[in-house]
Amino acid sequence: MILLGPLRAAVRTASWFAALGEPLTDGDLADARIYVDVQGVDRVTSWAEADAFLKSPTASLDWWNHEEAQRKELLAEAGKRHPERALWTALSELTSETGDFVHGKAATAAARAGNVVPASVHVAAGAAAQAVYQLAVARLAAREASPFESKFRLFAAGRWPLGVAGSRLVLF
Amino acid sequence: MTDLVVKTVEELKDAPEEYREAVSKLVISHAINELYGAQVFDEPAIAYAPTPYAKWLTCRVAMEEYGHHVRFKGLGTEIGIPEARMMPGEGKKPLSIFEFPLKTWEEFVAIKLLADLAEILQVEDLLHCTFHPLRNLARATMPEERFHAQFGEDFSAELVKTPEGKARLQAAVNEYWPYLPKFFGGSKSRNNEIFRKWKIKQRTNDEMREDFVKRATEVAAKYGLTLPEVRQAA
Repeated sequence: MILLGPLRAAVRTASWFAALGEPLTDGDLADARIYVDVQGVDRVTSWAEADAFLKSPTASLDWWNHEEAQRKELLAEAGKRHPERALWTALSELTSETGDFVHGKAATAAARAGNVVPASVHVAAGAAAQAVYQLAVARLAAREASPFESKFRLFAAGRWPLGVAGSRLVLF
Repeated sequence: MTDLVVKTVEELKDAPEEYREAVSKLVISHAINELYGAQVFDEPAIAYAPTPYAKWLTCRVAMEEYGHHVRFKGLGTEIGIPEARMMPGEGKKPLSIFEFPLKTWEEFVAIKLLADLAEILQVEDLLHCTFHPLRNLARATMPEERFHAQFGEDFSAELVKTPEGKARLQAAVNEYWPYLPKFFGGSKSRNNEIFRKWKIKQRTNDEMREDFVKRATEVAAKYGLTLPEVRQAA
């Protein structure tokens, strides 16, 4: 875990899911524009609305595939910089630890909101843990200006970037 | 039947060799099969998932399955099992189902619906284990295994809404079901006899297999699916 110490600390201090549905701030909008070069940001205000978006054809898989391509490129770069065993051990341990931690935070947020389907908590935890993993790969690849930095900042500020619809980022 | 209870990893050192060997075999088996499951099914399934909702849910499921491997491997390390014995490639072969790479979303849903039900039965049989660290690990794993099986049910419900989806899911069930009753081992298993002697496990392989087939038939019927006939292992 020496390789990812600062990120591990940032995971523990982030305000996971604490601002879901709240009005967007200038800081949120600034990070959103750095994360995705879009024309605007749409706000989702409830877990039910978030679920509906994520299941709908409006939620672009192109954006998902774009991030996957970036992740694979960064992972290949990270693989050149670090011994294989150290790389996979660091990523596996971070992911295992993060998954349970953010799941607890998502469950807390869902409990406060009330009437949230249990599966939605898992979806939120999956999204958050994936964001941490993506940032970990970017940092291991020494890519300082990766969009995964601003994606993580949105999560750390209590938001959940749901994806891209057309030319707009959808933020919970 | 012997009523030995081993409450800690420390106490295991003083348990009979047959007991220690039996515990090690189970921990190795779970550590290897959880990792194979995550690598062969759960992680590749993310790419096949049809929506961001399904992708992130599958991400979480994959992480939990990796987490199960990490937990069993962690217990194995505590009781002195070399790490290499709990990883693919050394010694124990994985279950035969893992030799067939995932090809479709429907295959993954069928696996979650039925194979994770088999996993639930295996974990259930450890809930009263006389080796308490393994019992506790089983208890920690159970809520997640139940969620994974529920994942299978929820997406099965989605798929069977259309005739095409139901046909694809039934085809996947037909392909994978024949491997699943074998999860529970042979009828005359010496390992199972030892597990039950020491109350590490509770039931015979045949009892578990029979229960599994009954429960799988019920859950499949909920979604209008049928299970193909399979000749049981000896």
